[in-house]
Amino acid sequence: VSQAVEIKLFRVWLLLSGITLLAWWLGSDEHAGRSAAITYSALLIVAVKVRIIVVEFMEARRSSKKLQLAMDAWLLLLLGALAAIYGLKLDMPPV
Amino acid sequence: VTQLAAFEAQPHAEPAPVWTDKLAGAWAFIFIECLTFSAYFVIYMLYRMHDPATFSESQAHLNPNYGVVNTLILLASSWQVARSVHAARTGQLATAWRRALLTVVLGAAFVVSKLSEWHAEITQGYTFETNDFFAFYFFLTGIHVVHVLIGFVFMTVGMYKLRDDDRSAHALEIAAIYWHMVDFLWVVIFALLYLMR
Repeated sequence: VSQAVEIKLFRVWLLLSGITLLAWWLGSDEHAGRSAAITYSALLIVAVKVRIIVVEFMEARRSSKKLQLAMDAWLLLLLGALAAIYGLKLDMPPV
Repeated sequence: VTQLAAFEAQPHAEPAPVWTDKLAGAWAFIFIECLTFSAYFVIYMLYRMHDPATFSESQAHLNPNYGVVNTLILLASSWQVARSVHAARTGQLATAWRRALLTVVLGAAFVVSKLSEWHAEITQGYTFETNDFFAFYFFLTGIHVVHVLIGFVFMTVGMYKLRDDDRSAHALEIAAIYWHMVDFLWVVIFALLYLMR
């Protein structure tokens, strides 16, 4: 077992947990009124955390550059769509 | 074997994942899962924008501490499975097995925490039928827990393969990328159900 890899994985976990606590603080009652800012920050935090998991834990980039590109495109499309629906207040008519 | 030789020649460099048909198949499966969940997330957002008042009001009844603790548990389990894969690749199969077991234990803690959260919501009278928000809440968290349970199956196969005649880490690597996917899908669900306003 390589000490360097162990330390890297520990740091990745620490970073992800730290970002989670930041998100928790963002969602606290302290910020109750600021809805759009909270929502966009939450989506940005998702982008950062998911990308760290895909790159560092799933080793997508180290496995295949195309795979990393596909995952990045998916993440960007999903979060872009969610932000657009939210920002443009697109709603779904009752079925 | 070549992977191990390369590792020993360069002790500080981590051997890269070996790109095989099985790994490619696993990633294709991951991609399909991501697209399926994306559809759920987009539909959730459309419903939310249709009735933002009900969604905000209902969301206020969730306990965000559960969401945070669940996220921290899954992140820790992802860390452990990544450590397990690393140990397996360097030939330390017993260490890899122990770390894989710890991953599954943390996954089980997630499921227990989720059951306790559902119990709290249901005893307060919030069920699938309360309104659209709670329908999405129980659907998204429920389908996600099903994926954690599928993760247990993958992990069990991975752990078995470490110990059978093959003594192979390949099944564990595939279980690990599936496990990480279950982790990051929760990261999205956490933001959509607990954080956004």
